[in-house]
This record gives sequence, C-alpha cells and structure tokens, in this order.
Amino acid sequence: MKIVLDWLKEFVEISVAVDRLRPDLTMCGVTVETLSEVEGATLLDLDITANRPDLLGHYGVAREVSVLYDRPLQTINPAVREAAEAASAAARVDIEDLDLCHRYVAMVFRNLQIKAAPDRIRKRLEACGIASINNVVDVTNYVLLELGHPTHAFDLDTLAERRIIVRRARAGEKITTLDGVERTLKPHFLIIADAKRAVALAGVMGGADTEISFRTRNVLLESAWFDPPTTRRTAKELGLRTEASHRFERGMDPEMALVAARRCAELIVEVAGGEVLAGAIDVYPRRWQAPELILRRSEILRILGAPVPDAATERILRGLGFQVAASAPDTWRVSVPSWRRDVTREIDLIEELARHYGYDKFPAQLPATRAAVVRQPHAEKETDLRRALEALGYDEAISFSLVRPEEIRLFSRIEPIRLMNPLSEESSVLRTSGLASMAQTLARNLNRGERDLRFYEIGKAYGVEKGQHFERRVLTLGATGRVRSTSLHESTREFNFFDLKGAVEAALEPFELPPVRFEPLNDASAFDPVLSAGAWAGKDRFAVLGQLSKGVAAAFKLRQPVWLAEVDLETLYAQPLRGRRYQPLSRFPAVERDFSLLLEDGVSFGALRASIERLQIPEIIRIIPADRYRGAPVPAGHYSLLVRITFQSAEETLTDAQVNRFAERIVRALESELNARLRA
Amino acid sequence: MSKADDRVEKAGKRIGEVARSAEDVPRLFADLRAAFDRELATAHSTAEVESLRVRWLGRKAGLLNQVKNNWLLHAAAELKPQVGKQLNALREHVEHKVSHTLDAILARTEVSAEAVDLTLPGVAVRRGARHLITQTMEEICDIFRRLGFSAVEGPEIETAYYNFEALNMPAHHPARDMWDTLYLNLPGGAEPLLLRTHTSPMQIRVMEKQKPPVRVVVPGKVYRHDNPDASHSFMFHQIEGLAVDCGITFGHLKGVLDHFLREFFGPETRTRFVPSYFPFTEPSADVHGSCHVCRGAGCRVCKFTGWIELVGCGMVDPNVYGFVGYDARELSGFAFGMGVERFAMLKYGIDDIQLFFQNDVRFLTQFRR
Repeated sequence: MKIVLDWLKEFVEISVAVDRLRPDLTMCGVTVETLSEVEGATLLDLDITANRPDLLGHYGVAREVSVLYDRPLQTINPAVREAAEAASAAARVDIEDLDLCHRYVAMVFRNLQIKAAPDRIRKRLEACGIASINNVVDVTNYVLLELGHPTHAFDLDTLAERRIIVRRARAGEKITTLDGVERTLKPHFLIIADAKRAVALAGVMGGADTEISFRTRNVLLESAWFDPPTTRRTAKELGLRTEASHRFERGMDPEMALVAARRCAELIVEVAGGEVLAGAIDVYPRRWQAPELILRRSEILRILGAPVPDAATERILRGLGFQVAASAPDTWRVSVPSWRRDVTREIDLIEELARHYGYDKFPAQLPATRAAVVRQPHAEKETDLRRALEALGYDEAISFSLVRPEEIRLFSRIEPIRLMNPLSEESSVLRTSGLASMAQTLARNLNRGERDLRFYEIGKAYGVEKGQHFERRVLTLGATGRVRSTSLHESTREFNFFDLKGAVEAALEPFELPPVRFEPLNDASAFDPVLSAGAWAGKDRFAVLGQLSKGVAAAFKLRQPVWLAEVDLETLYAQPLRGRRYQPLSRFPAVERDFSLLLEDGVSFGALRASIERLQIPEIIRIIPADRYRGAPVPAGHYSLLVRITFQSAEETLTDAQVNRFAERIVRALESELNARLRA
Repeated sequence: MSKADDRVEKAGKRIGEVARSAEDVPRLFADLRAAFDRELATAHSTAEVESLRVRWLGRKAGLLNQVKNNWLLHAAAELKPQVGKQLNALREHVEHKVSHTLDAILARTEVSAEAVDLTLPGVAVRRGARHLITQTMEEICDIFRRLGFSAVEGPEIETAYYNFEALNMPAHHPARDMWDTLYLNLPGGAEPLLLRTHTSPMQIRVMEKQKPPVRVVVPGKVYRHDNPDASHSFMFHQIEGLAVDCGITFGHLKGVLDHFLREFFGPETRTRFVPSYFPFTEPSADVHGSCHVCRGAGCRVCKFTGWIELVGCGMVDPNVYGFVGYDARELSGFAFGMGVERFAMLKYGIDDIQLFFQNDVRFLTQFRR
C-alpha cells in the first residue's frame, strides 16, 4: 500500500520529519517498507498485514498517526448538493442474498461529462500505482485509496431496466469482465446483475458491457459490503486479484459504504459536472452493531508482564475509534468501531494497547523453568551416526525432497506421491529414496571438476504403502574417485565395494543389531548385478549398497564408477545403541596362526567363518582373511585363502600343543563342511 | 670366507676332535669369540647384522646351537661345567654385541636434516563436513536447550487442519496467502494433504499430546510454492518454538528471544520487537536484530535501516488453545519461528540460498569444524 505523505497530511497534522515518521509507524505495526520521492511527492510504501483492511487507505493510516502523535483526526464530511429528482425513481436495487451482501448503496448521476481527470487526481493515482482511465473511474479509485473502500461505477443506461440485483451466479452464466476476458461463473460466486444478465463480479471486477465510456452520460455508483470468504473464493478461482477483491476479502467497513459513496459524489460532480440525484439508494437491512468487549487491567498485566497506565489505555483506544467506559473497578467496557472487524476479543484490545504504548516498554525477562529438557529418542543415535560418517570423510549433503519422476523411478518401484500444483516437472514428486538426489549430487560435483567425493545425507523418503502415506528417515551414501588424494607420502587407489561396505558397517556399528547378512540383490535394477548387496537383519532388508549400474549412471551422465548406498534409519533407530560394558583384559599372550586354505570357488569367507564359529572355541578372538589368490598353481575352480586366526586365553598361556589341537579341529571342520584343504 | 672360517668350522665337529684336554677349551671359545668379533666388524647394515644374528644365534642351525650340540652334549662329564660356562659367556657376548651394534646402526642411520622437508604437508586425514544447515540448527537448538526447550520433530506431510485451521486460519482466511502451499495428489484421501508451509503445526501436535508446561523447539523442513531465486527456495528449514505455562508473558518472549539472538549473533546484538500479524499469535511481533555487519549504521545487508528482520513471534492466540483443550484463562504462552537458511546466510555472509541445496563440495567443506 503506497501512501502519499501530503495526502496523509490532509487528515492529520504531522509535525515530525518523514525520517522520524517512518520508524514511528513501523514501531506501532504499520511497517514502512521503503520511502521514496516521486515527482516531488514523498511516498511511503507500507506493508499492511492481512488483519488490517482498515489501513488500506490513507484515512486509516492517518488514524494511526493521530494516535501516534496524539493529534486530532479530520472527520470526513463530503459536501454533496443533490438535485431534485430522487435516485430511487431512477434505479432500483435488490439484494437476494443478504448473507453475502450486508449493504448496497447506489447513487445516481445525470449529465456527466466523461473526460480525463484533473492532474491532481491523476498524479496521486499514478504515484500509488493505479493507471488513470477517465474522470469517473479515477474518482472511484481515488476514494479507494483515500478511504480504503472500493466503489464501482456503472453506465446507468446500459443496465437493463436500470436495476441492480445482488445474487449468486447461475451455473454456466457468463460475463465479460473489464479486462476483456469472458468468464464462466459458478453458483457460489456472488454477482451484480441487472434485469437480464450479470454485470459485475461482486467485489472483484465490473463487466465490460456496463463500463464507463466517453459516451456515458448517466452513472450508477455502487458502494457495498460483500462477504469476505465469497469474494476471496471468486477472485481465487478466477485468478483475478484486484484492488477491490484484496479489500473485500479482508473485510470492509459497512458503515463506510455510504461515506465513500458520498465522497465519490462530491468529487464526481466536481470533475465531471452533472448532478447527483437526491437520496442515495441504501439497502441495509441488517445494520451493523458495535460489539462490546470487556477489558481487564489484570489481563493486560497477565499477558504483557507489565502494566499499562490507565490514561494511556484510554487515550490509545479512544484514538483508534473505540468507545471506552470504566465499568467495574479495573475494568472497562469497550465498543469496537465498524472498521475494526479484526477486534473481537479482549486479547485483541491488549494488542492494540501494546503496539501503541510501545513493545519496547515491556521489560525483557527470562521465564523460570518448570520442566526438564528431554531429547528426541533418536537424537543420540543420529549424532553417533554423523560422527562415524564424518570421521570416514563423508561430507553431509542436503537435497530437495521434491524430484523428477523419471529419475526417482530408476531407483524405486514405489509409486511416488505427486504434487497437485508443482512448480516444475523437475520437482513434481516426493522422492521415494535419497539415491537419485545423491547421484545428482555426485554428477554435479564431477561436472565442476571435483573427482574424489564422499557424501552422506540423512533425509526422508516418502510414499504410499497399503493406502497410507509415509515418510521415513533414510541414510544415503555416495562415493566416487580415489580413497585418498595422491601425495608423496603414500600411493592411493580407487574407491571400491568394500570401502562402501565398510562405511555401511561403520554406520551400523553404534547399534545393537541382530546379526547382519550381506546378500546379493535380486532386484538390483539401479545397481551393478555383481558389485551390489542388500543388508539383512532377521527378515528385513534394511540397506542396499553397490556400484551404480552402467545404464543408470549414463542417465546421470556419470562416466566414472559411482557407489551408492541407502540405509533405512527407522529400522536402525528402532534398535538400541550398543551397550558398553567392561570386558576383563587377558594377561596372557595372544598367538597367531596362519591357515593357507584351498577352497572351491563359491565357498565364501562368511561360510568359512561361520564354520569356525560353530566350533565355539572361546580362545579364538579374531579371524581375519589375510590374503587371497587365484591362478596357477592353484587348480582351476579353486582359490587359495590365507586365514589368520588369533588365539588367546583369559586363564593361561596357550601352549603349542593346545593351539595345535584347536588348529586340527578347525581344519577338520573346514575339510568336512566346506571341502577345504590345507595347502602345504 | 676368510681364515675366521677355520676357527668357526670347529664348531661343526665333536669336541673330541677339536680339544685334547681341558686346557684347550678356553682357546676354542676364544677363537670363536674372535671370529665373531671379526665378522661383526664387517656388518654395517641392519640386514647384515640380522644375518649375522641368524648365523650365530639361529634356533636350529645357529653356530652357538651347533656348539651346544657338538661340544656341550658330547663333552666328558668333567668337562661339561667348563664348556657350559664358556658357552653361556659367549652367547651373552654375541647377544649383547648384536643388539648393541643394531642400536648403533639405527642411531647412525636416523634421518638426516636434509632428507626432511618440514614444510611438506602432513598426511591428511580428511574428515567430512557437517552441512551448515545442520550445524546452524544444532547451534540454535543448543541455545534453546540451555533455556529449557526440548527439541521435537514432526511430519512434513500435513493436513490442512494442522497447517492452517487449528492455527486459527479457517478455510478462505486471507492470511493463508502468507504461505503459498504445495498440495499433494493422494488418491482417496478424505482430507487434502499438503507439505507443511511452516513448522507451526507442531505447536498443535505437541499441545495435543502434552500437558503444560510446554517448552519445545521444532527444527525441520518446510515447503512453499515459491519459484527459486537467490532468496527463495521451495524447500527450506525452520525452527519453531513454543512455551506455554501459567504466568508466561510478553516480557518473557522478549527475554528469551533477546538472549537467543545475542548468543547466536554475538553479545553486542540489540533487538527490537515490531508489531506484526500472525493468525495464531496475539499480540504478534517481528523481531529485528541490529545489523551485525554495520552494527546498526546502515549497509546493504540491512537495506540501510540498521535492522534485520529475524524472527516472527507472539503470544499464543487464545483460539489456538481452544483447538487443543487448553484453558486460555489459566495459561499463556509464546511461539516463535525462524528460517535456518536466513540465519546461516546472515551469520556467514552467504548471498544465495540455492547454494545450500547444490551440495557443491567446495561450499560444504568451507564450514567443516
């Protein structure tokens, strides 16, 4: 809302400089966004909140200024010289839907001369960003800006039977609005009709057929009160936000309707000649009643924390147009002015007091605490997880939850939730996995010349399962390039599957999980069929990991191998953190034994370790795959595996003979269960 | 090998072949000792000393083992003590010399100053960087935790009831325009679902579940139907705060936020509370902080006003209590909300909100700590 300073001064004396006015207005809730000079006029651009339609005109703002500086506010008393002919004889107004239109004032003008408005009006309109049309339309806009109340002028001679009917639209009824667009109406729209057809969208925009033209001689001026939600729905559904709809949907002042009409009349006659017919047609069956509220001094103190002097309370409220009367001790009866439909409760009065008394007058205090601070159940788990991954060199990424549907379908068969009103196709569905975003993140960084990358993201995946929508926390990992950057201190190598598996294991490490199995993925569409796995705990697969398949990598224009993993954090967070308890340390030396084994292809280290563990030899404290070899002299279909087992007893120093006996049992078990052979 | 070998060879022979009488025994050992000393003198590297050690002290074929097998075990009973004593002495000598020589070699071969370029970088262990948004949320939540606020999280997929209605915004309320909403296309749902436009729905969810006193902060993602540019993103992060109890006042709201902003932006930060409007608070305020760049003198960051809008807040509107069954006559409270990206941008001088979601590693690693 743009305010012309000189215009404001027509209603209230302002003795301070505008540099002072600006912060003063802001500090009482009328935010001044910018201050500017346009052709010698000082303009204040105000940010008016949705609850204050009374500030959508200069007069309302002047009222705030009058309270601010304790100066009187001019009253509006339009001087209208009426002709002998009665308006009621020249036109007729009927309101069919009284719920949606509480008041309709019509004034009738004869013998007007439509031409350009005088400069003083045009300049002010233009300063406020409204284009000049002709003198009558400009006057309606002038009054809109001055008093904040929208009015509309019809060419009286184009209204069938010179009638105004305020009613709901009929299904399929059409109107061509002032902007030249033909619009099909719906029965919940409120319209203005004449005897035959719709002539205006009530409170939104007039019709082209009945607009003021340079041939117009006789005018019917409308000044009404329309229902806010209805106006809002109409404007929204037609995509037609206007100065009028902006105000009516916030709630106009029904008492102002007549004042605004008379102010228009005063100006119209002044700029277009002609005459005003006697007596406005005023259909106002349900008169507005001033609501009465109780304001207690104790409540002011309870909410604001410090008292407001009684004199200030009364001065502020009266200045804003409230009627204030002391009733019981420490209590006032306050009646609310018609332009303050936002004030309906005691708390609303307290806000009025607080903002004009000054928010800065209430001392800042810290409240006492009466309850202990608790953490989210998963907070500690998430912290541990982050620490583990950051220690491994993974940088945290945060990506959009909204993604492109084709991209996310590469990674998940869950049907993504679509947006009804997406901003673009690129962000039109909720991601069902973090993997697509991660592939994007890697691709974007590679494009920018970074080669060695590791990322983690703790985010959410969304979808629908069994008719119920869900959002689940997921951990997504992405890596590509070398494990370390090369330096003269050491050589490096490319990131591989086991680096990724190690990172997943590091993520799981803090948790008390049932034994985790890594098994081939059978539905590894996005992953390489060999270099990928699923991680299982019990019956649930809670993680996937592997190299991005060539096909999917190509879709992201990724040319170097890329590694991705996703872990379902809901599964993880359902587990407790690993309990930590002291284990006595053995005082006796540990003994290492190497077993060089010849194994058939397909016999896994996991199977071998399981076989050893089934022997339940408590002295085994470690089983490590130390070396692996394929090729001559190892026979085809076999490979050789060097397994290093560490033995240690808590009770004694193990003798050679004891360790030999363990070794024999191990070798026997591996021979019989896995067909392994000890190499010479 | 040299002459030393003659003396050493004797170790491979039975004692009867090399010694005729007890007098020969010390000479035999002295020869061996001399042979060892001579060999040792030629060992200059750790590898050479190591092979010397194996040759003399090796468990199976070591010379001293041979001496033990050939001389000690086969010595006549009266000779045994003397041979044993000599053997032990020799073994001690060999062991001592080997280890002493090794130490000496190691000491000698310790790196020379020229070989060390102290300006070479250390071996880098690259730790990952936590995202600046996460860090900022943690920092904000930590400050509030010290003021007694517990952190809770809530769903991003919300109903219109929690996002608007229970926050005192019935359908067709013009204030709904303050939040351009992204709606979800879910088949069959009775109630239309949306992506929450603010973290405020958690005010309702928390109060529904919990009796007063309530003191929570809610960090999380929120969504708006906003076209992306340097200061807008359709997804960003907010932190909501709510405190409800008997006797909570507007003064407390001021105290808590004033303290918070000084903790976050620095103790010299001043705050001012400017009347504003939110449908779910009454009275409402925008909190402005003195510009931390120009200290209030006026600059581009604060648009030459000296102040920066930071937090929206207010006293919880009594209508909101009606939705959760709290008694507005007994209780009072305040709520506030702030944008995490905005705080991070101001604190670290970032001029484009899109940077947070591009995950450019050059950006992310600037904030490693």
